[in-house]
Amino acid sequence: MRCPRLLLGALAHALFSAAAAHAQTPTGSITGRVVDSTSQQPIGNVNVVIDGTGRGAVTRSDGGFLLRAIPAGSYRVRAARIGFVAQTHEVTVAAGAVATVQFGLVTAATTLTELVVTGYGTQRREAITGSVSTVSADEANVGQVTAPTQMLQGRVAGVSITQNNGGPGAGVQVRIRGGTSISASNEPLYVIDGVPINNTAVEPTSLGQNNSLPRNPLTLINPTDIEAITVLKDASATAIYGSRGANGVVQITTRRGREGRPELTYDTYTGWSSPSRRLDVLDGDEYRAFVQGEVAAGRLAQTRLAALGSDNTDWEQALLRTAGTQSHNVAFAGGAANTQYRGSLSMFDQHGIVLSSGLQRLSGRINASQRAMDNRLRLGFNLNTSQVKNDYVVSENTGGFTGTVFTNMLIMNPTQPVRVTDAVTGVERFYEIGTGAVPVRNPVAIAEQVNDDGISRRTLGNATVDFDILSNLTAQINAATDRSNGVRSAYYPKISPLGASTNGDALIGELSNTTNTLQTYLTFHGSLAAHSVEVLGGYEFNQYSTVSSNLEAQSFITDAFSYNNVGAGAVLQSGFVGSGRSDSRLVSFFGRANYGFKDRYFLTAAVRRDGSSRFGSGNKWAVFPALSASWLLSGENFMRGGPFSELRIKGGYGLNGSQEISPYSSLITLGTGPRASFGETGVVGVSPNRNPNPDLKWEQTAQWNVGVDYGLGGGRYTGSLEYYVKNTNDLLLTVNVPQPAVVADRLENIGSVRNAGLEYLFDARLLSRADLDLSLGLLGSVERNSVVSLGKTAFITSGGVSGQGQTGQMSQRIMPGYALGTFYGPEYVGVDAQGRQLFAKYDVQKDATGATTGRTRNGETLTPTANDYGVIGNANPNFSLGGRGQLRAGRFDASFLVRGVFGQDVLNNTALVYSTKGNALQDKNFLKSALTDPIGITQPAIFSSRWIEDGSFVRLQNVTVGYTFTLPVAWQRGHTTRVYVSGDNLLMKTSYTGYDPEAFTSSGLASRGIDYLNYPNPRTVLLGAHLEF
Amino acid sequence: MPTSFSRSIRLAVPALLAVAMVVTPQGCTDLAESPFSVITPDNFYRNDDEVRAGLAAVYSQLNTASTGNLRYLNQIPADDEVIPVRGQDWFDNGAHLEAQRHTWQAGSPLALGTINSAWTQNFTGVARANVLLNAIQDLPLANKPRTLAEARLLRAYFYYNLMDLFGGVPIVTDVEVAARARETRAATYAFIEKELTEARNDLPVTWPAADYGRATKGWVDAMLASLYVNAEVFTGTVTASGLQKGPPQWQKAIDAADRVLSNTSYRLTADQAANFRADNNTSPEIVMVSARRPEAGLSLNFISNSLHYNQFSPSPNNGWSVEPPTYRKFDPEDKRRAAILEGPQFNIVTAAPVNDRAGVRLNFTIDIPDITQATEGNGTRMYKWPFDPARTGTNHGNDYAIYRLAEIYLIKAEALNELGRTAEAIALVNLVRARAFSPPKPLATSLTQAQARVAIFDERQFELIDEGKRRTDQIRQGTWLAASWNKSADVPFSVLMPIPQSQVDANPLLEQNPGY
Repeated sequence: MRCPRLLLGALAHALFSAAAAHAQTPTGSITGRVVDSTSQQPIGNVNVVIDGTGRGAVTRSDGGFLLRAIPAGSYRVRAARIGFVAQTHEVTVAAGAVATVQFGLVTAATTLTELVVTGYGTQRREAITGSVSTVSADEANVGQVTAPTQMLQGRVAGVSITQNNGGPGAGVQVRIRGGTSISASNEPLYVIDGVPINNTAVEPTSLGQNNSLPRNPLTLINPTDIEAITVLKDASATAIYGSRGANGVVQITTRRGREGRPELTYDTYTGWSSPSRRLDVLDGDEYRAFVQGEVAAGRLAQTRLAALGSDNTDWEQALLRTAGTQSHNVAFAGGAANTQYRGSLSMFDQHGIVLSSGLQRLSGRINASQRAMDNRLRLGFNLNTSQVKNDYVVSENTGGFTGTVFTNMLIMNPTQPVRVTDAVTGVERFYEIGTGAVPVRNPVAIAEQVNDDGISRRTLGNATVDFDILSNLTAQINAATDRSNGVRSAYYPKISPLGASTNGDALIGELSNTTNTLQTYLTFHGSLAAHSVEVLGGYEFNQYSTVSSNLEAQSFITDAFSYNNVGAGAVLQSGFVGSGRSDSRLVSFFGRANYGFKDRYFLTAAVRRDGSSRFGSGNKWAVFPALSASWLLSGENFMRGGPFSELRIKGGYGLNGSQEISPYSSLITLGTGPRASFGETGVVGVSPNRNPNPDLKWEQTAQWNVGVDYGLGGGRYTGSLEYYVKNTNDLLLTVNVPQPAVVADRLENIGSVRNAGLEYLFDARLLSRADLDLSLGLLGSVERNSVVSLGKTAFITSGGVSGQGQTGQMSQRIMPGYALGTFYGPEYVGVDAQGRQLFAKYDVQKDATGATTGRTRNGETLTPTANDYGVIGNANPNFSLGGRGQLRAGRFDASFLVRGVFGQDVLNNTALVYSTKGNALQDKNFLKSALTDPIGITQPAIFSSRWIEDGSFVRLQNVTVGYTFTLPVAWQRGHTTRVYVSGDNLLMKTSYTGYDPEAFTSSGLASRGIDYLNYPNPRTVLLGAHLEF
Repeated sequence: MPTSFSRSIRLAVPALLAVAMVVTPQGCTDLAESPFSVITPDNFYRNDDEVRAGLAAVYSQLNTASTGNLRYLNQIPADDEVIPVRGQDWFDNGAHLEAQRHTWQAGSPLALGTINSAWTQNFTGVARANVLLNAIQDLPLANKPRTLAEARLLRAYFYYNLMDLFGGVPIVTDVEVAARARETRAATYAFIEKELTEARNDLPVTWPAADYGRATKGWVDAMLASLYVNAEVFTGTVTASGLQKGPPQWQKAIDAADRVLSNTSYRLTADQAANFRADNNTSPEIVMVSARRPEAGLSLNFISNSLHYNQFSPSPNNGWSVEPPTYRKFDPEDKRRAAILEGPQFNIVTAAPVNDRAGVRLNFTIDIPDITQATEGNGTRMYKWPFDPARTGTNHGNDYAIYRLAEIYLIKAEALNELGRTAEAIALVNLVRARAFSPPKPLATSLTQAQARVAIFDERQFELIDEGKRRTDQIRQGTWLAASWNKSADVPFSVLMPIPQSQVDANPLLEQNPGY
């Protein structure tokens, strides 16, 4: 591959000559004003664009706009804004003159923006041939939004957002049209102001005994800075991002300054979060009664009574709390004709509903743009910097075997107090069942005593240069850097049972990520008669670098140092001490052509050639093409006068890839690690830690998309229906390799997965009067996922079950013909007279080759074996729905968002392990449901269909009520203040018995639908205000 | 009316733009990977220290393989030990019950878990040895023949375990990851014999103290003695109807044993327990060793498996127990029985009496009435490797003897008895028994050959219980398939373990063992 220097050199040359040639062209200007046709009030922030040129401006708050240096001639000028029907006017520009054009816009039901960010540029909504959805921050930034991903929840069809748990800043699983990959990432590509973001963890994740999942790296973006989020869903839309587009693309556009009077706004809210559901365990009285009863019945030893205290502690209540959140955000924006700027500063402080957990963010953002050379040169600059402090609990995402907060919250003896006064010293301390490393620990003490904190800093900056070489040829450069540094520190004090056996344990992990990006591209716009063309071509370079280091020491003289003086620990843990660095690069050439004919027929072709250093030597490069088309039927004469104000059909096909694997995956590498003892000394061994795979290549996803967009009742009702099929081939899959091999498995391109789905969207503007607006929206999606092939592998077990006595127990199988997330286990049929669990017993018929040909039920068994295992559930929903409404009546406004997911199964791993009366044999508490359960006290917990629950739910996600007015003070003249009350997660209807059916526990390859001791989901109510100055 | 400012912008900006666009990042299309914190074999194994580090990685796999899943499979399915389900503990997918009852299949939890790990742990050792052997083949290194011999011996050890558990396996000496067919068990046996014999020439008799734990000629001879005494089984053929024995190699076993016995640096310790304590690196009885340190990743931790939660800190897991008939088989006067904890229990460090979690004095009973719902105190416990006073957490530094001189005596005794030299055999057994009884309780010299055979196998169990030998012994003795405590009479093909289904999936050329 040749370097693109020559291409760029030629570009630069063209630029010079164009600059020289420019002076001769005679130009004029266009000016005007945009108002609401009903109220005659000015509308700001309207995109005013000259068709076919890409030239445009945004209206000021007084509705005015100015377009300068327009070559003399006739033009069609369009004005478009969210919530309004676009309008086009003809205008003629004469050399040296100012042409005036006025727009009176009519409100529309649609919530789609008119100019849509499509990657390396924008496109008019009508011209888009792929599947693209846009969410306006004005509408979606309601309630307590910690990270921008929350704004997509329930608002975009085909996008499923599962927050890992209810912890502050919890990570999310974002799936656009379903997860297609098994071993590689299924997360979409995030693009902020044109810069693709490396969305990997910014802080070391699991540290020491805290096996937590990463928190959401996007918490570093302040949601108030966001203008809109655009989701590119199908391959024809994402093909321009090639190798990173297979899981969809989420494009975040931030707010910017506008020409006109400076604006100063202050946004604030205060919120209160409380636990939304409870896991019912026995209280002190119930536990005492149970133990006394069992002792009397001879099923528990007499000595059990000695462990009973006289207290009545609700450990769940002791550990959980009503927690406060506050948010402050100041922004100023403004600008003159050629210079615009916006700056913002925010502080966000969220306390978690579990003691000693929280998140605190400070962020600042500044952007500026400058026009020069009669608007031929446009310079832009964005800088975002933020600091997030994370306070973790042990362990907020998984239970762990013993020791964690949530495990002990369930099992800690409820007849014992939280705190006791020491009989000897008179000092109050936490109650523990004994001294040292006791097996059951006081969960409140763990939360209070263990320090586990993270601090991340991230700076994201980019500079853009747009230059019109000719009036229809623009060169653009976007140079960006994204640097993050996260330090996670933990200390397990010797006073805690968790730190007692190590005499205090301090750990520090540091992670630094750097991504440098350079994009250079040329855009050509042209139109001739009824034909319009836009062609884009460019080059992009991304360099990723990760550096990490770890430190651990134990045996501290005192707990007073916490993690701040690791050197005070007598024993350095060499097994954890270490450092690492990895780099990778992605080099790309891309092009896109949009063709429109008569504003009715549109065609888009895109191609991207990507080279990634992460793949095998012969497979580093791949080409990702796409083609799509749409036809605006309602523009045809034969449709005129029909019911449809808009009717469009569209279809497309494209190929995407995934490069989300770790660097060096194709190489045989040696690492340090296993040691041997030579002469009573540990000698560090160096050995291969990866099997080479020189054939490793891209995972490829081919996607078909067909759809209809419609508008009825003169635009009062709009909607769309889309169907897609995604076939992912050459899956990046970690599979066992033939032995001997240095490690058991390696990443190979094996097998395929198919996703197909239907998405439906309907918006209605039911009322639209000057003082009364009511709109409703409904969206639904159905998605079917199926593993087509795993190569020669028959199945892969996954979804490891957590808890005591569950070692090696797997709950899911990935196998051809079934969806990812298929539960596999024995069928529970009941309990025998002795209180033992019974399972369906099967005989298996096999053919001569040993392949299973059938199963027949044959009675019952106490100990299910391989033959008795079968499919017992599916973690994927049958369908999901979202509904929202917005009402504006005079000065009042109100909105709601409801989400429902139906037909998915959830493994209630928490109930599986903690619904065991046998816990009482060890002075441990258990879930109240076990009291009425016929299973005997001596029985172990066995995974079976009994613990697979229906996880369907309907959740009232948000309700907001606001009131807008002008304060009777001088500084607010011409501005407004809005106050509001907002509630998140107010109601949930579900038959699921755990905290929340929408939970994620990471337990193996592509596992989903497992709930184990997750951080509970809060219910939040907040009071907020928006002030303009 | 351009000002001078806009004139200068007009010139400067395109110039800057041109520079920015032309100066693209260096190597703009160079996609070669540059590893930093990992290295590739091409830039390693360049000097003695690096080769030593490469060897250490192979030795570390000896540690993993010797006391990991191999030991489990030699003890739980055999009549040494049992892991009963205790309340919520130790159900673990039913795998331990499967092991006890011999109900495993190629795709069952035991096969996909423990058996699969035994397969990969030993083959990983083979692969690590192969990487080293191939990398240094053409390099000029001091001590190269000795290094090659160490790696070949270790590779032969891993193959020995694989052959013992699975029969014939693919024999691989290159580093390519590829599907390959199985060799016959006899061919695998022949490969091991050849490798060991050739490696012996370049290995030292002893190492300086700074290298204790590395392979010697004694390791080879001990492995060969064990290989030959099992020759009938190892060179036999297994079909669905059972084992067809191959020819015996009794004299070769005696010769190999004699080479160990004639080395005066090996001798029986006066107290058998000295071979298991944390200072057992000084024991002259240990012939082949997996050396340990009280550090994470290098340690021995059998205490966690067997002792009760309250007997030690950090808390053990209260699992493995001795099968009641095996405990009862011990002569009450046999000092070796003292390594099995029975009756009221104490904290093993402080000797303070301990209670179970119900608060009742912990008492290990001989009997386990129901292995699917045992109590905390059911079953006696092996405590052969006492805690290390210098331990860190659960990490103990006791070395693990793969072969001890006592076993070499018993191998020779067994071979002599098979050759009809029963009196000589009984004399050797009595040599081993001498330290176990005071006053001495030797075997009667009047035993017939058949009686002596039973006595020798029993003696092996008394002497070697918990040392990862019993499955192989029971197969050789012919007691493996018989019905026994909590186990029905077995299918005849279970003398070999199934190839785990996951391995058959990964390598379609692997033919499953007959019957599975």
